[in-house]
Amino acid sequence: IDMALRELKVCLLGDTGVGKSSIVWRFVEDSFDPNINPTIGASFMTKTVQYQNELHKFLIWDTAGQERFRALAPMYYRGSAAAIIVYDITKEESFQTLKNWVKELRQHGPPNIVVAIAGNKCDLSDAREVQEKDAKDYADSIHAIFVETSAKNAININEVFIEISKRIPVADAAGGTSGKGFKLGRQASESRRTCC
Amino acid sequence: MAVHSAINGTTAIPWRSSRKRLTLLEQLRGCQEAWCPGAPWDRERAHSAICGTPAGCFLIVRDSATCQPSLLCVSTGGDNDTVLDYNIKSTGKVFQLSESRLSFSDLAQLVLFYSLTRDVLAICLSIPQWIYCVTDKNRNHLSQLEPTETWLRTPPEQQTDEMTHKEPSTVMCSIQLTSTNGALCIINPLYLREHGDDWLTHGTTAAQSATLPSNIRRERRLSTTRTWAGAGVQSKRAISLDQEPTAASIESSGLSRARSADSHFPLDFSTPAVPTGVVLRRPSKDSACSPPHRASTGSLTVFTQTSRGSNSPVSELQQHGSPVPMSPHRVSWIEDGVWLSPPRPSSLLQPPSFELDSLSISSIEEEQESQMPSAASHHASAHRLADKVIHRLSAVGQALGGLVSQKKRLINRVQELSERKGGSFAENVKGFVEMTLKKGVDLDGVTGSEFLQEVRSSLTSLRETLLDYPEIQALLDSITDLSDAEIESLVELSLHKVAVKPVSAHLYSCIHASRIKDGTLERLQSNLRVLEKNKVEELGASAGVGVPDSSSLERIQQKWTSMHEAYSPNKKVDILLKVCKSIYHGMSANASSAGTVFGADDFLPCLTWVLLRSDLTTLQIDTDYMMELLDPTQLQGEGGYYLTTLYASLYYISSFRPRMPARQLSVEAQHSLNQWHRRRTLHCDQSRRSKNRRTIRRQMCRDRGSQNSQTDTESKEESGSVDVDKSPQQAGSSTEGLPPLSEEKPRGQEVKDVSKTPSSASDCNEQGILSKQKDRQTLCAGEDEQTKN
Repeated sequence: IDMALRELKVCLLGDTGVGKSSIVWRFVEDSFDPNINPTIGASFMTKTVQYQNELHKFLIWDTAGQERFRALAPMYYRGSAAAIIVYDITKEESFQTLKNWVKELRQHGPPNIVVAIAGNKCDLSDAREVQEKDAKDYADSIHAIFVETSAKNAININEVFIEISKRIPVADAAGGTSGKGFKLGRQASESRRTCC
Repeated sequence: MAVHSAINGTTAIPWRSSRKRLTLLEQLRGCQEAWCPGAPWDRERAHSAICGTPAGCFLIVRDSATCQPSLLCVSTGGDNDTVLDYNIKSTGKVFQLSESRLSFSDLAQLVLFYSLTRDVLAICLSIPQWIYCVTDKNRNHLSQLEPTETWLRTPPEQQTDEMTHKEPSTVMCSIQLTSTNGALCIINPLYLREHGDDWLTHGTTAAQSATLPSNIRRERRLSTTRTWAGAGVQSKRAISLDQEPTAASIESSGLSRARSADSHFPLDFSTPAVPTGVVLRRPSKDSACSPPHRASTGSLTVFTQTSRGSNSPVSELQQHGSPVPMSPHRVSWIEDGVWLSPPRPSSLLQPPSFELDSLSISSIEEEQESQMPSAASHHASAHRLADKVIHRLSAVGQALGGLVSQKKRLINRVQELSERKGGSFAENVKGFVEMTLKKGVDLDGVTGSEFLQEVRSSLTSLRETLLDYPEIQALLDSITDLSDAEIESLVELSLHKVAVKPVSAHLYSCIHASRIKDGTLERLQSNLRVLEKNKVEELGASAGVGVPDSSSLERIQQKWTSMHEAYSPNKKVDILLKVCKSIYHGMSANASSAGTVFGADDFLPCLTWVLLRSDLTTLQIDTDYMMELLDPTQLQGEGGYYLTTLYASLYYISSFRPRMPARQLSVEAQHSLNQWHRRRTLHCDQSRRSKNRRTIRRQMCRDRGSQNSQTDTESKEESGSVDVDKSPQQAGSSTEGLPPLSEEKPRGQEVKDVSKTPSSASDCNEQGILSKQKDRQTLCAGEDEQTKN
């Protein structure tokens, strides 16, 4: 079995306290990647998953969500193949922040970056402030992936990344690591070259 | 096609596939029936077949119901005829031993791996020598081999004598290091050549338990040797160890304690650490070759250290970092690729001792570890080395692979080339150094980062020149157990020594001058005064996050110092990672509630807090240095992340203005990042595109994918029509709403020829950047005004 390994930089955005790092932690915790040592901390983590005949190694870049650090975000989302924007379903404000992130990515983010929206803490539905339908409609309007997640109960965590894998254009067009080669889009699949 | 499985980092590397000689992996696959026989074979039959064979002989039996490989039976050799069983799990498409987490995409890979390093096994698997000589022509015979007749029964000696003379003799320099229990052992192979090796394994088998993962190895390569047939171990040990009395006593006690330590695995870190496992590899076919070098025989070095308290690197390793408890640290280096590739003349030129010596000394000099208050002062050097090795391993993420010695070999060769009179590489290096030292003194009209970008671009060209040397190619080809990324980094390191080292001081002063000029250093200092009183919560961290205590803060300062002293950007990043690890440690160790996962929300404020207690000027210089000179391919990984975070944190401090709206910073931050990132992109493309490059990763899908896609894109953009139809669909699949940034589009043309003619081309490269930067500046200024209004 000869599988190509692709490194996909994924950037995590969202207000502080919405559970960005918990989501990643949940995603990564059950994995072991014999290829690498565990990372030194939870701000940067990796996980390799198989998607069809490729291995996708997610390089997950967490960002600080505090307003004062907002300006630093471009340094992090540069070159990302995907961004996961996280909000807290119990905090309407965090959903507004999310919309700002979408705008910013639109203006300054890598072209064709895959955007995933994660409404975290869906285990706390009693305290819900953001309706699932509203969020879903918004996500659809910007062609983003949408899921409600619970890092606490491990709901929909893997699904976010599976969806990202699905939307990443096939290997040949990707040029490896960043979003820069995505221009060919899915059409490239027919003319996929093998590397050997 | 050769196997390139990304699942495990140990397999053959694709570009070797052109060889006519079969790789060991292919050979193993060819005779899989012999070592993994089918139906009538079960555990019992395997055991009886294995019993009495030399240590390491093995068979794999299949489950009678599922026909899946289920059990690995390994002979421990010796008199008691023990056969150890290891369950094999096959989940989906991967195989692994139940005790180990390493998984392999096929069985042959598993066998190959465990023949190189034992991991959870008590002993390495032994593969018969004759298999190395199987070539394409006679491979058909492989499949007809019988387990008992050929695989197990042919005495290794005989096989070797019959078949290996076809293969030129090879000097295989071997050392192995283990850091189990925090102990590090380095054994000079020449010592073993001279004095035998029985002392290593003497008397250890009896204590072995078949069920526990044993720390004691009876290495098959030891037990199947001819010339080393170990005689009077005790006396020989005494003779040689006279030279190092301290080490000797430690070592001998270590070995005996090792046996007892075995019984209470996992390790108890409060007990003194002892060197438990010593694995040796030695030339398997060295009999024809006369000892190449006798000058430094008898030098046995055994480093040990006690692992007590927080000063110990091992316990530090345990406590630092991620909240997951880490498994006991065990590392084996396996070096040299003689198995898989024909020996090269180059390796004959270098006596093993040379490499070993250079390995153990020079890299320590370069990377002075923090001088920890060491209780046992006579262990100081051992401390430092062990610390260094362990940290490097954890930092760079090489659990396996003979990086250290291969690195040295490459570095030595590159050094040699850089001094070879009249050679193109030597000329280019000389030209680069002279040019660099001349430039940048007067930075009129050129910013510091532009100057460094030029340096980086020249480094990339130098690398191309270097890779044009067949001997370098050959050397790289012989490295079998490193990933391509690691090889890239190896080449970089070797280049740094010859090209960056002579200019690093000059580069520092240029960056310094430039940062004075743009006011950054001044802003850093004045904002330091504003911010330094802030608690970490006031810097944005959530309540209850810990910060490093004063002693670990002191150690961090020492690490910053060694980071500054390192000239290689890669090495600097390694040290940066150590610092970050200490910070994580401080965050969780001193946190008010245990078990919290700290992400960037807390790490960035903590790092900032630490920076506010550090020498900001030097850090800014080092950060710029790393940012600009690091090989762009390394920026997406962990090193890249923390470097970005360091840069971001410094940027936060230097641009801190209490009343300034956040948006304002964004534009500036982005602008500065744009410059930086653009160059990175340029260099990436440049190194990937140059046509005549003997690329070290030429068969990577990634590269070809990248090249292809770009060519395609370009040609399509030129013809203009095709893409228009496609784009809506394509955008529908991802994010239609996000228009591409204009700066990402035009690239490639102006850098095409850079690698061929360093000076002139990089000039025009520079102009390209400059003109685009001007555009961008205008653009940014526009945005700037909009935001203000």
